[in-house]
Order: sequence, then structure tokens, then C-alpha cells
Amino acid sequence: MALKLNQPEFEIERDTDKCISCQVCVRQCSNDVHEYDSEQDVIYSDSIKCVGCHRCESLCPAGALKIKEVKSQFRTNYNWTAEHLRNIYKQADSGGVILTGMGCDKPYAVYWDRILFNASQVTNPPIDPLREPMEIKTFIGRKPDNPVFEITGDPCARGVKLKTELYPQLELSTPIMFSAMSYGSISLNACKSLAAAASEFGTYYNTGEGGLHKDLYKYSMNTIVQVASGRFGVDVDYLEKGSAVEIKIGQGAKPGIGGHLPGEKVTGDISDTRMIPEGTDAISPAPHHDIYSIEDLAQLIYALKEATDWSKPVGVKVSAVHNIAPIASGIVRAGADFVSIDGLRGGTGAAPQVIRDNVGIPIELAIASVDDRLREEGIRHRASIIAAGSIRSSADIVKAIALGADAVYIGTAALVAMGCHLCQKCYTGKCNWGIATQDPYLTRRLNPEIGTRRLLNLLKGWSLEIKEMLGGVGINAIESLKGNREHLRGVGLSEKELAILGIKHAGEAW
Amino acid sequence: MEVKNYINRTSEITDYAIIGNSAAGLAAAESIRELDKTGKISILSEEDCRNYSKPLITYLMEGTVSLDKIHFKSKNFYRDNNIDIRLNTRVKSIDINKMSLTCGDGGRYRFKKLLISSGGKPIIPEIKAVCTCINNNCKSSKSNSFCSVNSKNYKDIEGIFTLATLSDALKIKNFIKKNNIREVSILGGGLIGLKSAEAFLEMGMSINIIELADRILTATFDEQASGIIEKRIISKGSNIYKNNTIEEIHVTGKKISGCGLKDGRKIECSLLIIAIGVTPDTGFIKNGALKVNRGIVVDKYMRTSAKNIYAAGDVAEARDILLGEKRCIAIWPLAVRQGSVAGINMAGGDKKYNGGFFMNSVEILDIPTISMGMTNITEEKGKNIEILKDFNPGKNTYKKVVIRDKKIIGVIMAGNIERAGIYAGLIQNEIDISSVKDNILREDFGIVNLPVDYKKHLVSGEGIEI
Amino acid sequence: MRERPGDNKMKKIYIQEEYCIGCRLCEIYCQVKHSKSKKIIKAFREEKHDILSRVLVEEIGYNSFAIQCRHCEDAPCVDACISGAMQKNKNTGVVICDGDKCVGCWSCIMVCPYGVIRRDVSSRKVASKCDLCVDEDIPECVKNCPNEALKFVEKDKNKEIQVKTKDGSQKLH
Repeated sequence: MALKLNQPEFEIERDTDKCISCQVCVRQCSNDVHEYDSEQDVIYSDSIKCVGCHRCESLCPAGALKIKEVKSQFRTNYNWTAEHLRNIYKQADSGGVILTGMGCDKPYAVYWDRILFNASQVTNPPIDPLREPMEIKTFIGRKPDNPVFEITGDPCARGVKLKTELYPQLELSTPIMFSAMSYGSISLNACKSLAAAASEFGTYYNTGEGGLHKDLYKYSMNTIVQVASGRFGVDVDYLEKGSAVEIKIGQGAKPGIGGHLPGEKVTGDISDTRMIPEGTDAISPAPHHDIYSIEDLAQLIYALKEATDWSKPVGVKVSAVHNIAPIASGIVRAGADFVSIDGLRGGTGAAPQVIRDNVGIPIELAIASVDDRLREEGIRHRASIIAAGSIRSSADIVKAIALGADAVYIGTAALVAMGCHLCQKCYTGKCNWGIATQDPYLTRRLNPEIGTRRLLNLLKGWSLEIKEMLGGVGINAIESLKGNREHLRGVGLSEKELAILGIKHAGEAW
Repeated sequence: MEVKNYINRTSEITDYAIIGNSAAGLAAAESIRELDKTGKISILSEEDCRNYSKPLITYLMEGTVSLDKIHFKSKNFYRDNNIDIRLNTRVKSIDINKMSLTCGDGGRYRFKKLLISSGGKPIIPEIKAVCTCINNNCKSSKSNSFCSVNSKNYKDIEGIFTLATLSDALKIKNFIKKNNIREVSILGGGLIGLKSAEAFLEMGMSINIIELADRILTATFDEQASGIIEKRIISKGSNIYKNNTIEEIHVTGKKISGCGLKDGRKIECSLLIIAIGVTPDTGFIKNGALKVNRGIVVDKYMRTSAKNIYAAGDVAEARDILLGEKRCIAIWPLAVRQGSVAGINMAGGDKKYNGGFFMNSVEILDIPTISMGMTNITEEKGKNIEILKDFNPGKNTYKKVVIRDKKIIGVIMAGNIERAGIYAGLIQNEIDISSVKDNILREDFGIVNLPVDYKKHLVSGEGIEI
Repeated sequence: MRERPGDNKMKKIYIQEEYCIGCRLCEIYCQVKHSKSKKIIKAFREEKHDILSRVLVEEIGYNSFAIQCRHCEDAPCVDACISGAMQKNKNTGVVICDGDKCVGCWSCIMVCPYGVIRRDVSSRKVASKCDLCVDEDIPECVKNCPNEALKFVEKDKNKEIQVKTKDGSQKLH
């Protein structure tokens, strides 16, 4: 056997004073890292198999485990970093494409961390969100070009009535939605948790390209159904059961390429939901093979609107790439009611690492440039912009909206709320937290009751924080924050970055 | 402790009369009282002590249980349930037509309902007693020496006991202490004999078991299981005499000094326990008054052939679900269950007895064993009998399951009795186990291995209420 | 049979099989609760082989569930007990084995259809089984189940939960 050059990435520190050899770690690790020796009544751990998911550390009743990222060190080389070396070893061993999961982890600039939000002081008093009404309700959909009002004098409706008929809208109680994560990439229990939380909080979740499982039919009032390049699960009922339809052109983590679910994972439920025979590979081709130009996209958008009786918003999801601004403009002119833009840091269940880490642009820059372009062309009102790609906190949300987004999609954050530790091994299907797996032994670990509760808590906490920040800057409706670049300041950004973001530098004032 | 002496001849009237103060009788009394808060309940016992658990007497003897802990109901049971308890009261006869009974001391009771739960009496075999005094010295002593004893009163020889009641146990305990006995002989290697053996071995004594069959526990164990126990007993310095019985009892003075066995051997012994079995105590029932086989025959409501008269416990002959006919099964759990059912029906309720089967638990020298049902059957006409066995010599454990027409009818477990009750449930509910036959002998056979329908039934309701 | 008033009101431990992950933390915390020291590391250091868990986790394939005494309304172990050690408390409904009265005859083990009574030979031979942690608000196993598979509810509430999680589409077993 040829020499294997891979090395462990994590070290398992077991405090033998605390370890009681209860074997919980042995039972819970799907990578078989821990092993019980009955003769000596001790547990041995094989670090090379550890992926750093922390399952054992979290469940250890005696608190005896600590997982540390400890990598063998090479001679310092800023050019040939340890990671490059390891990747070449892996590829020389296997000859394959190096896969990874979740979002880009490279040290590109995170603009959220270089943008600061404003607060009111003297000139515009702040508002206490716990004592005064604060509106964060958001509507996704095309807004009318010239709304016409009628003066009625009716005191109950403030004396006006809207005459113009509205385009179909999604009503969100908070500007946060759950991002597209397909059943197949995540477990059914995870899907159920997302759906139930969306339903209870009054927002939406997205089916992703895996079709809609029948257990989720009851949440159709809160479901956005996705029509992706593989068209899995797409039929009349599917479109009926969605509250909105999203055509997926691209995804932030892997712009320009499609997806591939191996045949051995296409069994039972997955086969039923995706509507493909068991054992066949589920291949999502890179382009939609019926969309080769923007005109084709317009055709599909209107076909879907026709098929859904013009009753639901139909939108398009794209990755944030270099020319995202004209692309978004084209999409809006093609008739989309909303445009979801997924940035460089967007997550995935499986993608080639080179593409995840090197293709696409950060969402912050994409949102700003798209918002500017659409406003310039006078078509900003025709579609809502949804920002995605690593929204990590309520501060990111507020900044995203101030940069021009109508709402945000959260993917990674939702999974983290349910237990994900970002070990980036989703593609192995051995997720110890029961999220990115279909193995029935593992999927049991995500109890939808607990999952739903945690997601609701996240939405609740973030919504309160958004209100606090809005109140702090003296705004009482999220509508007033949208695209309001004045409330943002950059720090440590170049002139060019500031120009693209359309914000001043911290310290500059009007 | 009240002892009422009836000298006058007037009858006492009671609503519910119960003969017997043990498992069945007290269970019945409790059930009656739950349904009938005011009716008079009279319990008649020939013994002189309040409720005690007969199976505990061996534990009392070995010292695990003290005299004040031998009761199985609360100390205030009679008072709390408003029961009239009559001790030292042996029932002499029952007049079915007049619905009255007469006691040994002349007292009479008229009852509305009667429960006969008089239990069983030890079987006393006829054995010749032989004088072995040197030079017949005994002849010169008083006339009530036992040397020219006839076979009927050998049991009055000092050192020979049955072990059936509390007073027996106390007598034996005293005898051992007083005479510093280190060794005991037990006639009978069946359940009673082994239960006594369990106690004596716990006390650190060595034992001689004399058994008629070719192995101990012949009714409930097979050769392999008996072998495991026999080996253990012998390894501790005790003896088992198989295919043997006592033909003569040797008496010196007033005491037993030894036994002559069937195979010609003689063994020395100063303490002999007669433990060959019990028989239902029906002596006070006149011929033909009630239908009596070996025990008093009862239907599924515990009713006898006479109206308003019930029977329960060791004295009753009720349905054996494995044999499909009625049989006396003298074990504690069934006595309690039968007594309870009888009580409910006596008080106007409606409850059926679902039948039972034999089962026993005994631990010899740290080897726990459990046997249930028909364990030695190998074939039966018209039925398909299958026997599954697993012996693990390393752990010294043995498990045997007897299956008849896809249902379990017998189980032996020796060495490891974990989860034995699951098998009892399968037998009682007559579950078809053919779908799980392959797993039945597993050491960790559990609920997870049960047939799906039974698992659902076991976990009540339609949901998964485990 | 002997209907005790309010048996349906008694809270018992129920399991949602589909969420049991087979980690056996319930067994461990049960052992700690019934140890002398009540502290996990000390208990396992000093008493590991003497403390029996009263809850058993059974596994087959990827299915597992925890089972313990059901505190049956008509408990066969109470009938079978020759010493009166096994009693159903009239007020709480909990079936408890009084260690002082128990003589270790194992009749209860012989009749329990769930097989949840165990033979404790660490000192005196006594029967060991779940006591519903009567001195706690919530039994230890329920409290410490990391996936909330164990619930401490009344019987009807449990039926509600089971039906809700079935979603109509899940087959039993």
C-alpha cells in the first residue's frame, strides 16, 4: 500500500481524570473515531478520522472531551500554505475533485465587518421598540408603477383607499426567510423544522431543488417552491402548493456548475419526492437546457405565471458574479417579481472546493451595485431583492437592507441554529447532527420539535435586535431603511469599495 | 391479636366467610372490601398468627427476613379493611345447603358467600422407622420412647420436620441452633426441597438431597439445567442422591440418627426435612359436597360446583392454559390473582380468571434460575413441538425454549434470568412467535425482538406508548 | 382491575421511538441518580459496577428506544411479590420496591412482561427497577435526554403527542 500523506486535522483531548468510559462518544460518532477497549475499560480515539463536528464533546456527560484544531505544521511559507500542500496530497492519492461543504471559509474581506450602522442622538430622536410601534413587516413581490389612491374620508382607513390592483405579494412578519436547502442535501427532519418554524413565525422557507415532500404539504402557505435545472419534483401540484415560485439559475457556493446526487442516495422518499426512479443519479445540469438567453428566461417566467394563474410571485435566484448588476436588470425586465442573489459565502451540501472558494463576489458588493443599477434604470420597484450568502447576525441583516435588499435568506445560520458545527463534511452524508444526512441512524438525532423551537428562537431574537437597531436610529418601519445608505459608514475600506457600496467612510458626515 | 372462644352454639352471621389467611384469602378480602365497603368479612385461619407470607419462611430460617418483616400485607391490614380475623380456627365441615360452616372449637358461621382458600398440606410419605439404639437400651426407658415406632407417627421423631408453615420454620431454626446442626438431609429434590436447600446453603450448612428421579427439579428442569445446579451444589461439598429414596429412618433415643436409602446406603443425619410435595387441603369437605379432583374444581369466575361458594389458591383446581384443562398450580402469583378474581365476583363484580401456568424462581448458590410452563415435553400427538436450546459454558448460562405449534409453552433459564418475564408474557398471551424464532435464544432478547402486533398490544393503546 | 382513581392523571415516562438516538445517556444519568455520591465522575469511579440503571435501551438496526417500569395499573409484580416489598403507592401511583422487605426471590422478574426489573447483587440481593425519581420534579432520564425523546406526561397527553408526530404518513414500526 502506497504511503498515505494525509494528516489529522483535529486533536481529541480526553481528560482521563474525568472520562468515565460511558461510551456515549463511541456510540455517537459516525466517523468511528472513538473505540472502547473492554479489557482495560478505556476509550481510544483515532484523531485522523475526526472531522471536528463536536458531537462527542457536546454529549459527553463528564465534560471530558475537547476538540482542538491542531494541524501538523510545515515550514512557514506564505505562498505554499499548508492547505495547498494537503490538497495536492489528497488529489495525488485519489485523482478526484476535492469536495467540500458549507460556505467559503477563505480570508476574503467580509464587508459586513467593515460597515457600521448609525444611531440617532440629538437631531432625530431614537425610538424605544418595546414601547412604540415598530414595523418590520416586509412584502416580497412587484410593486405597482403608479399607485392610484382615492380620497374617501373614511377615518378607519385614514381617509384613503388604494385603487390600483396589487401584484401578488408574499407577506413576511420579519425580513428573514429560510434559504433553499433541498430534501436530499438535508434530512427530512431538518426540512420539517424549517417549514414549521417558518409557518409559526409568519415567514417562508424554500424547498430547494429536491421537490416537496408530502409531509410538508400542510405548510404550503409558507413554502417557496424552486424550479431548478433538474426540474425535480416539478408538476402541477408542486406549483399549486407553493406560495411563490423561484427559478434557480445559480447558487453562491458553486456559480456556473450544476449539482449531482449519487444514485445510491436516491432511494425511497428521495426518489418519490424528486420524481425520479430509485438508483438513478440526480443530476442538475449547469444551465437549464431550455434557458440559453434572457429571452428564454422571460419565457419560462411567464409560463410559470400562466401555470399558476398569475396568483403567485415568480422570481429568479442567481449567484453574485462579476456582472451581477446588468444580469439583475435583465432578470427584472424579463418579468421576475423578485431576484434572489446568493453571494460568494453562500453554503452548499457539496461543491468542488476550488469553485466554492474562488468563484463569485461578496453579497455586500452585489446588493449595493444591483440596487444602484435598478434605481438608475427606474425599475427598482418591479422586483424585490433578496440577499443571501452568509448572513450571520441581525446586524448583517440591517446592513443588507440598508444597502438595498428587501429581505434576506438565511441558510447556514439556520442550520447552525439546529446544531451544525460547520465541519464542512456535509458531502459525506455522515452528519452527526442529523442535518446533512439521510442515514436513518443519524436523522433521528434532529428532533423536529427541538429544531423548530431553536429556529423560532433565532428568528425571534434577531427580529427583536433588528427592531432595537431601527429604533436606535430613529426609524419605525423597515421600509424606511431600505436602500438608505446614509445610515451606513465604511471603516478601513478603499475609495473604490466605498464607491461601489455607495457609502461614506466613518467620520464623514453630511 | 384477638382470639374469640365460642362455647355457645349459636351461629355467627357473616356476609363473606374466607377460609385461609394467606395469599388467596387476603387478596380476596381486599378485592371484596374495594367493592363492598360495608359487608362483613370474616377470615378463619387455623394458624395462630396474623398474615405472613408462606414463601418467606425459608428466608426467615436463613435469616434474611426477621419475624417482624414476615407479613406481606401491612401491619394494620385487618383494621384498615375492617376484617374480622379469627385465628386458631380450623374449619371442620361445611353445610352447603344451610350455607354454614362448623369449626373445630364448635363455633358456627352462617355466610352469604364463602371462599375456600385453605391452601395445601405437605405430603407425608409412609416410611418405616427403625430403632438403632445400642443393645436396645431404649427398651428400658419410658414407654413413650420411639423405638418401637410404627410408620404413622415417625414424623413426631425429633429432628424430622416438614417445612410448610411459619411455626415449622421457627421450630427448625431453633432445633438447628440448639443442637448445633451443620448438615441437613432433604427428602425431595423438587421445588420445595430446593427452596429449603437454598436456605440451608445460605446458612452455610451442607445438604444431602435425596431424590427419586434421575435428577433434581425433574418436573421443571431438563437434564442440562439440573446438571448446572447439581454441579454447583456438589462443588460446595453437598451431596445429591439420585434415583433414590429413604426406606428407613434410623432412630436413636427420641432423635433421628440416620437414614437407610433404597440403594442400600446408609447416611447419618440429625435433621431431616420432608419436602416431597403438597396436596390441597380439602379434608374438611365431605365426599360429594363439592366437585373435588385433586383440588376443588372451579370455573373461570372461581366458582365451585356449589352456589355462592368459591375457591382460590393452592386448594383450587383452575384452568391451566398450557394443558388446556384444570389443574392445581400451587404458586403465589396465581393464588393472589385467583383470590382477587374470586373476591371481585363474590362482591358482585364480574371478572374472569384467564388461566395460568406453572412458573418458579429459585436461586441456588448464586445461580439464579427460572422455569415456566411445560419444559420437559418432547412430543405431543397432533402438535408440532420444537425445542430450542443454548448453553454457554463460559458464562455457565443455559436457556431453553419449548415451542408448540408456533407458541411458547415452556422456558428454562439458568445462570441469567434477565427479562425472563417477557417470555411469561408471550406464554400467557399465547403469541405466535414464528416470526421472531431466530432471536428467541439471544442473551439480550428483548421487547425490540417481539412480533410487531404483540409489541403494539403490550404497549397499550394504538400509539407507541412504550 | 383495581382502578385507582386518577390513574389516567398520573404522569408516566413515554418515549417517542423515532427520536431515540441510542446514546444511552438516560442509563448513565439513572445510574448517577441511584449512586451513593450522586456525582457522575465520583459515582463511576467508585461504584461503576454496583449501580444498576433502571432504564434499559434496546437497539435493533438503527432503531432504539428506552424502556423502564410502566407502573402498571394492575401490576403483576405486586401480585407476585411474596414479601409485600413491591407495592403501588395509593397516592402517587408509583410502584416501588422496598429494599428492606425485598428478599431477592425474583418472582417479580419472572412475571414482568416488559422485563424491566433487574437483579441487584451489589450488596443484599434485591430487585431493582424504576422509581420514577419520586423526589424530583422530572425524572433524571427525561431531563437528560439530549434529543427530548423521553417525555413525562399523562397518558392522554402522550397519545396526542404520538398522533401529532405521526403526520398521518408514518407507519408504525
